[in-house]
Amino acid sequence: MSSAEQGISVDIDHNPYLAEGSGTVDAIVSIAADVAAKTSAPERVEAIIIDCSTSMQAPIEKFDAAKRATAAAIMELVDGTHFTVVCGTEKAVSVYPVDDGLARASTETKAAAMRAVDGLRPHGGTAMGTWLAHVRGIVGHRKGALTHAILLTDGKDEHETPEELGEEIGLSEGEFTCDCRGVGTDWEVDELRAISTALLGTVDIVADPEELAEDFASMMRVSMSKSIPDLTLRLWTPVGAHVEFVKQVAPTVEDLTHRRLDAGNQCGEYPLGSWGAEDRDYHIQVDVEPAAVGREKLAARVSVVAGDQVLGEGLVKAVWTADTALSAQISRRVAHYTGQAELAQAVQEGLSARKAGDTTTATAKLQRAMELAVESGNDGTAKLLRGVVEVDERTGTVRLRRDVAAADEMALDARSTRTARVRKET
Amino acid sequence: MTGQEATCSQCDAAVRRTDRFCESCGASLSEVRRITIPRPGQSAAGPCADCGNDADFDEYCTVCGHRRVEPDRDKADLGGIVLITDRGIEHARNEDAAAAGILVGSNSQRPDGIAVAVCDGVSSSDGAHMAAVAASTAGVDAMLAALVASRKAHAAVLAGLRAAANAAAAAATDPASAPSCTYTAAAVVPTPAGKTQITVGNVGDSRAYWLPEAPAAPQQLTVDDSLAQELITAGAAADSEAVQRGAHTLTRWLGADTETEPWSESSVQTITVVGLGSLVLCSDGLWNYLPDAADIARFCRGTDASAAARALTEYALDAGGQDNITVVVIPIGGTS
Repeated sequence: MSSAEQGISVDIDHNPYLAEGSGTVDAIVSIAADVAAKTSAPERVEAIIIDCSTSMQAPIEKFDAAKRATAAAIMELVDGTHFTVVCGTEKAVSVYPVDDGLARASTETKAAAMRAVDGLRPHGGTAMGTWLAHVRGIVGHRKGALTHAILLTDGKDEHETPEELGEEIGLSEGEFTCDCRGVGTDWEVDELRAISTALLGTVDIVADPEELAEDFASMMRVSMSKSIPDLTLRLWTPVGAHVEFVKQVAPTVEDLTHRRLDAGNQCGEYPLGSWGAEDRDYHIQVDVEPAAVGREKLAARVSVVAGDQVLGEGLVKAVWTADTALSAQISRRVAHYTGQAELAQAVQEGLSARKAGDTTTATAKLQRAMELAVESGNDGTAKLLRGVVEVDERTGTVRLRRDVAAADEMALDARSTRTARVRKET
Repeated sequence: MTGQEATCSQCDAAVRRTDRFCESCGASLSEVRRITIPRPGQSAAGPCADCGNDADFDEYCTVCGHRRVEPDRDKADLGGIVLITDRGIEHARNEDAAAAGILVGSNSQRPDGIAVAVCDGVSSSDGAHMAAVAASTAGVDAMLAALVASRKAHAAVLAGLRAAANAAAAAATDPASAPSCTYTAAAVVPTPAGKTQITVGNVGDSRAYWLPEAPAAPQQLTVDDSLAQELITAGAAADSEAVQRGAHTLTRWLGADTETEPWSESSVQTITVVGLGSLVLCSDGLWNYLPDAADIARFCRGTDASAAARALTEYALDAGGQDNITVVVIPIGGTS
């Protein structure tokens, strides 16, 4: 494949020592791509989906901001990028080009696309599944291309069933990546998170429509900086082993366990999405059959693969020892990321209990979340938590705030998976 | 057959069989052969001992993931010199190593020179087996190079000691750990008068024995660098408690954590022997059970080097195999 795929490094951080009879191996796998985005130019495909439901005009500034944001994203398109702009209601319609195809970005096509967007008038409902289906019909099946979509909405997915949306999400997996943004506070974090997680993208709230343009431009810039369309994590494990989980743990927590595709030869493959010059951390936990004290076993072999090409590899070894001082140690990074995953879960469960009116559970979960966020130095989540709970500085106990701004709560929910990093052990 | 003429392997010029160097191009006319055991990569051969699968990546089985078990023993024969190194019973891995090299000149039955080294990795250091392999290999290489240049056994052993010390010190991959090992070497050269000159040198407690055919008396050629030996030298009885306790405490070794030349010139000793016999180099995994030269001689008389080396190793295993066992048997003065 292209030269951009050189420079993938795979680092394994774990305590290889296990006590007699124990078989659980935890490891942090750090994958770093050192690629120059400009040196190789894979085919790029972009779709911008703008919510044109009637609610977008209440107030009208919201829709004006959405149009400006779409224009800002178009401006960031690298010339030659194939793109489409789609207007979403209870159905989806191509705004530019109108023939349900793709345009090639140039000064002229970008200007024409912006004119077409400017002429949009909001009118209709919301059925995001049909939007995904429409985009898939235009951009799908482009093997080897970097295919990315931005989806903007301001409301709930009202004009189709959750099953219909779920089915469309499933069909779109692997066809394109999708970053989702909710403007205002009338949309559902869980709904957009379901899309962004499955389509290996991000989710966030843009509470103030005035901030949309900068957010869209920045999302498109990040997308334009990607140069590797699809990386796959291939995990070999020995006979008799069970993969407990595979999670991305930085920059955000994303559970990939259920994304496993069996690849034969005791290997499973997990999609890692598109990559630019960046690094991400993964936590894998494998249960292996214990061996005798003194023996060594390979608990997992981690390969990073693009197409058929193995770009990087790391070995997770296990050594059984009678020395409990060795086996009792937990890798600092394994401990840290275990805490970060628990933090994301505590935030989501706490907010969900709060919505359901279960104050006791909500308080307990959010108190635990606050402790974990402070302990681990996750200042971003700690700050967002303070918008929802009050902390007694003396005792450290937590009380739910009576009046919580909806935007604060949604921001905490949407950003709950962002993790703090910890330095690699040397 | 005239038997008088041969050609240089480098330039094809005609040379006399008695020449050590080609008169035409200056190349050495001796063929150099060498070996070090245990040989790496032996574990990859054959099916996995745990699940029977044939394939592996790196050193791990592709099915069950077990690291391939190192073979317990490696045995080699280099022109009649027999080397055996065995893990023993008590130790999890073999940290001994042995190397040998020969210069084959005009008479393939009687090499122009022999260099042998035995190293015993010190278990209390990390990567001791790497130091042992590196030191024995470097020592033999340096001895061979010296013997090619001039047939002086004493100078060769000193050159070997220096090279082995450097190699052991360089074997440290982690600055926090200093792998270390013993080193016992012998250089053997025939003299024009039909005798054989044997020079030995050692750091640590691996030993060399000269075991001539009867009725000549067998003898230990090296003096251990151990606490026990220091006590005996100072007058303590060999079977006293203090000596027994200090038996394996080394006073000298090779490695990054020792002086640059941890040997005394007096440890390098030369004897000139007549007639047949066996030169034996071994680690303490053998001599623990057979400390006296006469004990070892019993295994070597009236048999070939291969049978002797195997019998000695088996004896140490039967006696408990508490340490790695390494034996090198060098037939002297015969036609092996």
